[in-house]
This record gives sequence, structure tokens and C-alpha cells, in this order.
Amino acid sequence: MTNKLENVRNIGISAHIDSGKTTLTERILFYTKRIHAIHDVKGKDGVGATMDSMELERERGITIASAATFCEWQEHEINIIDTPGHVDFTIEVERSLRVLDGAVLVLCSVGGVQSQSITVDLQMKRYKVPCIAFINKCDRNGADPYRVIGQLRTKLGHNAVALQIPIGLETDFNGVIDLLTMKAVYFDGDNGERVRIEDIPPDLLAEARKKREEMIEAATMFSDELMEIVLAEKAIPDSLIIEAIRRGTLERKLTPVLVGSAYKNKGVQPLLDAVTRYLPCPSDVENTALDIDNNEARIVLEADPSKPIAALAFKLEDGHYGQLTYVRVYQGTLAKGSVIVNSRTGKKVKVGRVVRMHADQMEDIEAISSGYIGALFGIECASGDTFVSPGRNLTMTSMFVPEPVISLAIFPKDNKSQINMSKALNRFTKEDPTFRTHVDDETSETIIEGMGELHLEIYVERMKREYSAEVETGKPRVAYRETITQKAEFNYTHKKQTGGSGQYGRVAGYMEPITEEPEDFLFINEVRGGSIPTQFIAACEKGFRQSIVKGPKMEFPVTGVKVVINDGASHAVDSSDMAFQAAARGAFREGYAKAKPVVHEPIMKVVVESPTEFQGSVMGLLNQRRGMIVGAQDEGAMTVVEAQVPLGEMFGFSTVLRSATQGKAQYTMEFALYRQVPQSIAEQIAEEVALRKRSAA
Amino acid sequence: MSSGASVLVIPWPAGRTIKLKDRNIDMIKQELILRNPLGYLGFETEDILPAGKFGAVLAHAGVGKTALLVQLALNSMLRSRNVLHVSLQDPVNKVTLWYGELFNHLASQFEGAQINKLWDAILPHRFIMTFRVESFTVPKLEERLNDITEQGIFKPEMIIVDGFHFDSPMRPALVALKTLAGKNGMHVWFTVHTHSNEKPGLDGLPPSFLPLADLFDLILELQTEHANVHIKLIRGLSSASPTANLLLDPSTMLIKNPS
Repeated sequence: MTNKLENVRNIGISAHIDSGKTTLTERILFYTKRIHAIHDVKGKDGVGATMDSMELERERGITIASAATFCEWQEHEINIIDTPGHVDFTIEVERSLRVLDGAVLVLCSVGGVQSQSITVDLQMKRYKVPCIAFINKCDRNGADPYRVIGQLRTKLGHNAVALQIPIGLETDFNGVIDLLTMKAVYFDGDNGERVRIEDIPPDLLAEARKKREEMIEAATMFSDELMEIVLAEKAIPDSLIIEAIRRGTLERKLTPVLVGSAYKNKGVQPLLDAVTRYLPCPSDVENTALDIDNNEARIVLEADPSKPIAALAFKLEDGHYGQLTYVRVYQGTLAKGSVIVNSRTGKKVKVGRVVRMHADQMEDIEAISSGYIGALFGIECASGDTFVSPGRNLTMTSMFVPEPVISLAIFPKDNKSQINMSKALNRFTKEDPTFRTHVDDETSETIIEGMGELHLEIYVERMKREYSAEVETGKPRVAYRETITQKAEFNYTHKKQTGGSGQYGRVAGYMEPITEEPEDFLFINEVRGGSIPTQFIAACEKGFRQSIVKGPKMEFPVTGVKVVINDGASHAVDSSDMAFQAAARGAFREGYAKAKPVVHEPIMKVVVESPTEFQGSVMGLLNQRRGMIVGAQDEGAMTVVEAQVPLGEMFGFSTVLRSATQGKAQYTMEFALYRQVPQSIAEQIAEEVALRKRSAA
Repeated sequence: MSSGASVLVIPWPAGRTIKLKDRNIDMIKQELILRNPLGYLGFETEDILPAGKFGAVLAHAGVGKTALLVQLALNSMLRSRNVLHVSLQDPVNKVTLWYGELFNHLASQFEGAQINKLWDAILPHRFIMTFRVESFTVPKLEERLNDITEQGIFKPEMIIVDGFHFDSPMRPALVALKTLAGKNGMHVWFTVHTHSNEKPGLDGLPPSFLPLADLFDLILELQTEHANVHIKLIRGLSSASPTANLLLDPSTMLIKNPS
């Protein structure tokens, strides 16, 4: 480590699926000499790109987990987080963005700003991550970087400013013109490693001059000094332009745009220069933590290695030598042998091995100081935990974790798979808070839950590949919920006197819907005069809590119910905890039936981006799926249709959408809210539940 | 009661107490409809405008044209009438925000869960379309409209056009739109952006709008006086006679009765 914080960049590379970001990362690692050969994502040599450390990612050509890697460029240390591009893994993307200081937004010069880029851009906005844009694939047919710059402005609202223009496009794409130095840059050698700088070809000179003026004009907004020099028509020093653009970028008021083709080895080195020039170093960014001891007051962390430690575990990975925990240190120094406290559990741990990661190879180091990203070995923790020095009680801002909306039953094929499966599940649930698992009491099936079909599919695949756990899956099930819609009273007596000691308990009161969210269940004891002895109140609550796990209506979890007990009766000999638990369960059933129970289903926000000529049929498709169309937005050649559609209706939507639009439409989907299921659908669900019960019995 | 209460209170008959949480959705709906203060402008018909008629809201930038029209739209939605909101300036997200904000202000004295239910119930009565102002044409709108009506997705009864540029060459387009609206049983509300450097004529209309004004059956203007925004009726239907001077509350953008 150089220990010069201003020369450190923690960056992410995020983009739409298939924009070529893994290829770009691969090239960056090659030019920074971290790897010595280039492997393509879907490579013929069978090695795959270095960042795709998971076998499955190599096969599918997509990046699932954000591996962190480190490289050096022009005396700068760059930590790269390769973020996943598919919306089902959004939690991973969001978690990565939390630890980044800046990002490179990769866009395809043909596809332009796609729906996924919009989601990722929103996330960047939320975490205020400054970014630069790289328009990739300029060698492809139909490449039009200027159109993409226009989209950056109109669709994402960026003040996008070109710092380069391409020399030729499509198959004629030869290099780039740097508008700062006003030179043409070519990339020679087998892998484009030799950068050749020449004069600008005469036919492009006029355009380059025009674009340079636009660039300088945009930059003057951020520097009075530059403005004065421009107005005085003096020669403009490069450093002044760089400084102004950097200022604009850090404020997120200007987005520098670079062009190139990572696959054809063009434009990557200038991109690295731009990363070091315009993206922030850790001390440029203000990071805050919450002080648990002081009513969660916000504390600004200082990137000072001598201060007490504050670090965030943002990713876990299961390696050959145990759990690897990726951490970002915000303050202090996390050194080998130092003692740290996990502020969630309060446990003290001693730091063992400290490493720096390069995709799936690693390098032992002595310490990680503030502003750096590294990994620890043998630390038991969950993703998102905060580590602090003993005596302090801080937590990094808690990250919003959505509830899973879809579930799947999985069955191991044999005994060995059974064991491996539990290992795998244990690991995955720690790595990813949106992935959960439990065993169904009745059917004894193992159920996995997550954020979408693909999300679960990937984990099932990973079980097979990484843990050789062969599993079969059931049909995906939507996470329905039950709730009540009106107040109802109950008065239930549980009585049993058939041999042995008897059982007696009476529980009375009422239940009503909870109106103030987000409480799921409330139990209130208003029993006066000991009609239920105090020692049995806990048993009553337990009985009610047992009941809400599976609703009496359709066996879905019950949410939003407040239970108040205000009367009851007991027997000196026959009353027991068991008896009151049973009485409470009976009382719940009695009240629930009268309280007009209904089923709620998860509704997804679906955004379809399609050519305008297909927008009518897209709306038809959404409408057929009980979708409520919120609106249609005209984007020139494309129309964006936004709708709210029940998740239960979205299975197989991608296939249908593809065939209806000649494969030209794309969609994203994320959880929006729970809403009551219409009567006719509720009946269908009831039938399905009954069928499943019969087949399980 | 919270801030929304200052809007307008319809007194309940003496001796009748209904707990807020015991009211069902329909009652809340009815009450919100009753509270529609535009009734005070002297309109007896529920829709204010009959089918095939045009209404306009004139104001300078930022005074609250969109807010006023969104309230008219919400009122229609509460009465289960379908509203097509055509925006030529804002993306769908922003239009959605307008509706959400104003609805929450409007219903702020009711309970959270009931507001949510009511919101879910009226939302299917709204459809938002956005166009780029430069590429917006009436045939294009008609094509889109056919897309949704023919498939039975949505059939609007009221259209709001927000951000239309009123220049005299637009006259044929407006005439076409009026025919289209009459044919489909819809009425249309427009926002009209007026400029502060333009002096209004004797009839209160800005000269640039005058050549098109004959197409409009109802014209409202928002005027700022000190901290208040007044809703003035410039041209009304024959039966309408203004009985009250209405204001737009600058903090919530809700229509309120000053009395």
C-alpha cells in the first residue's frame, strides 16, 4: 500500500446485463498487470474472465457475486467491485454501492440506456455515488455513442459531457480522440497494450474542436478561474479543465463520457486515466455511522488510520480455507492481531489473516487502513455487520432488506446431497439477506425463499456446482399472506376430562386489524382481577403466536392482527400452560372466522421498455395478467410502460414478451406492495392449497 | 385533526357521532366527494364539463395549474370515472407523485390503512400517458387511445392535457381533439401557461390565447395576490354563477374556501 489516501479509488463497474462490464474489468486487470493473459467471458479457452470467479458465472456469461479486486494504475490504487447486473440481485448491487466512492457506468453503444441502467442509476443516486460513463461496444453494428449521450441526458437526467469522440464507428472503429489534449489515441499490439498518440485526422478536426468547446463550456460551470480564462480567450491549461470536471463529477452535476470497445481492446487505458482523474478518493466522500449508545446519533467518520476502527462487512464468500469476509474500513486501521467487536452481536474477535483480493487469488497483507477494501479470514459474521474498536458502539447505516416474495420447495436426491445442501443453505443465507430458508412443519419439505424466479434458480445451480448437492425443485410459490378486515370477538373454552389429568382454560377478548403499519402482530393483555392467572398470560400469547404462523383460512402467514384478551377463566387443578395455549389457538380460530379474513398477494412494479409499435400489445399482455397500467411514457423510438402486476401472474412472462415483440422489448420487475386478492382468484388459490394438502397427506 | 382539516369542514348534523375508524371506504369516498369545493363555484353537474367540452386553467409558471387539475382528476376517480392524464412535460413518476401527494393531503384526517385501501380502489381509474411536447400530435394520441380502449384496458371519461403549447397554428389540432372527445364522450381539461410580461385584455384573457379561446367552454385562472392564490372564474357555462371565491392553499396546493 502506498498509504496516500488521495491516490486510492474504490470504484464499482455497474451496468445493464451484457453491456460488457466483465470484459471491461478483465481488460483493466490486464493493462494494470494483475493478470497476464486475457480470457473472454464466454471464452473458447475454457478459462473464462478472471472476475467471474464462480464456475456458473463463467458458463452463463453473467456476474453473480461482486468479487472485489485490487489493481494499480499510474501510482493510484484502484479497488474494483464487479457488481451483478440482473435486477434479481439488486441487494448485492446496493450493498456494493454502499462501500464504493465512485462508479463507472458502462453502457452499450447499440442498446443505450436500458431499463436496468435506470435501476442502477437510481441506486447510485440514492447513495450519492459520483460516476463517469463508458460507452462500450463502439465496434458493433449500429453503434451510436451520440444517441447514448442523448439518452443519458433525457432518460437519466445526467449532465453528460463527452471527453472523447470515436475515430470511426462499427467495423471502422479505430481509436478515440482525446478532447483534452486534442490528440488521436490508437491502441496497437495484440492486446491493445501499446498506446500510440498522433495528430487528429484532418476530417475529424472540425468536429473535435466543436466538441471540445462544448466540453469546456460545461466545465466552466464549476470553475470561475476557468471561466475567466475562457472569456479572456487565453490558452487554457489542461489541469484547470481537469479540476473543473472533477469538481462537477464529485457533486454529481456533470458526468464525463468516454467511449471505446473493451472487447477490441480500445479506449480502456484512457478510461483508467479518467478514473484516477475524476472519481473521488475516500477522503472526498463523507461517510457516517450511527452511535447506538447515543440514541443512534449520526457520527461523521474520518478517513484517519490512527482513529478507532469502523468497518463494514459487505460480502461473505466461502473459500477453501473457510469464510472470507470482505470489509471496507471507513476509519482506523484493521491490522493482523488487533481486537475488534462485532457491534450487532457484541462479540469480540481477534483478526487473523488479512488479505487483499484479486478475483479468486489473494495476497496476504499486514493491515487494511481507512479508505481501503480488503478481506478477513475466519471471522464469524453476517453480511452487513459493522466492526468497531472495543469500547465503541457504532453501526453503519442499516441497509434496507426487502422481504422475500417467492418460495420454492427443494428435495435432495440422496443422503450425501442432503448434507451438502444444508451446508450450502447455511452459507447462502449468511451471504445474502434476501435469501431465506426453512423447513415446512407439515410436509417436512425444505423451502427456499427469495426475490424472484432467477434469484432462486441461481442458488439451486450453485448448490449443484459448488456443493455437489443434487436437488430437485417444486413449483415456485408466491408468498401470499392472510389478514383480517374487521373487529371480531372470541370467547373460547378448552376443556378435556377424558382420563388422566384434565385440561381447562377459557380465553375471551377480541381481535382487530392493525392500521398503523408495519406491525405484524400485537398482543395486548387487558385481563383484570386475575380471571386468567398472570402465569398463564404468556401461554396465551404463545398460543396466538402459534396460530399466526399458518392462517386458518388458507395456511398462509397471518399479518396485521391485534389480539386483545380481557377475560377468561381457570381451574385450580386442570389449568396449565398447555391448556391455555390450546384455548388461545381455539379462540384465534373462533375470532378469525368472524373477522372477514382475506388473502393478500405481492404486487410487482413491472417496467417494460419496448419499441413504440409494440406498446399496444405490451399493454395487452400486462392487462391479461391482471396488471394495472400506471402509465406509458413516450421516449422517442421506445415507449416505457409501467404497471403493477401480481407476482403470481408473472411466471414465464419473459418468454411471452419476447415472442410478442420479436425480442425487442425488455422488462424489469421489483416488489412494490401487498394487495388483497380478488375473490375469484382467492377461490383458485384455495383450490390449489387444498390440492397440495391432499397430495402431501 | 391535521393540516388538511383547514381545507373545508362540512358540519355533521347535531347529535350524530361516527368514530372515524368505523367508517367504511364508501363513506370516506362520499365525504371526499362532498368536500369538493369546486361545487362552490356554482356547478351543479358532477362533471362540471359535459362531454366534448374543453376547460382551461390559466396561470403563470409554478402557481399550481397541475395541482388544480389533479384535484379535479382525483374527484372524478373517487366517483369511479376514468381519467386519462396526458403530460407533455413530466415523466410518469413525477405525475404519480402529484397524485400521491395531493391525495394524501386531501385524505389526511383519515386513518393510514383506510387511505391506502381507498387509494388502491381509485387507482385503476387513472391512466398516465406522457409524450414529448415536440412529438405530440392528436392522431398519435388517438392511436394510443385506440390501443387501450380496443383491448378493453381503459376507457377514459375525462382527459387532462398538461403542458400543451398554445400557439395559433395549434388550432386544427385542438379542433380535431374536440371532435375526438365528443365522439368518445370525454371532456378535456388543459393547463395554459401564461407569461407575466403579457397584459391581459378586457375579458381577462392573455392576447396570445385569444385566437383559441372560443374553443373553451370554461376558463379558470389562478392569480397570486400576496401569499394567496385565487381561483377566478373567467368564463363559465351559462348556468354557473360563482358563489364563492376559492383559494389554492400554497402549502398543500389544495383548493380551499376562504370563508
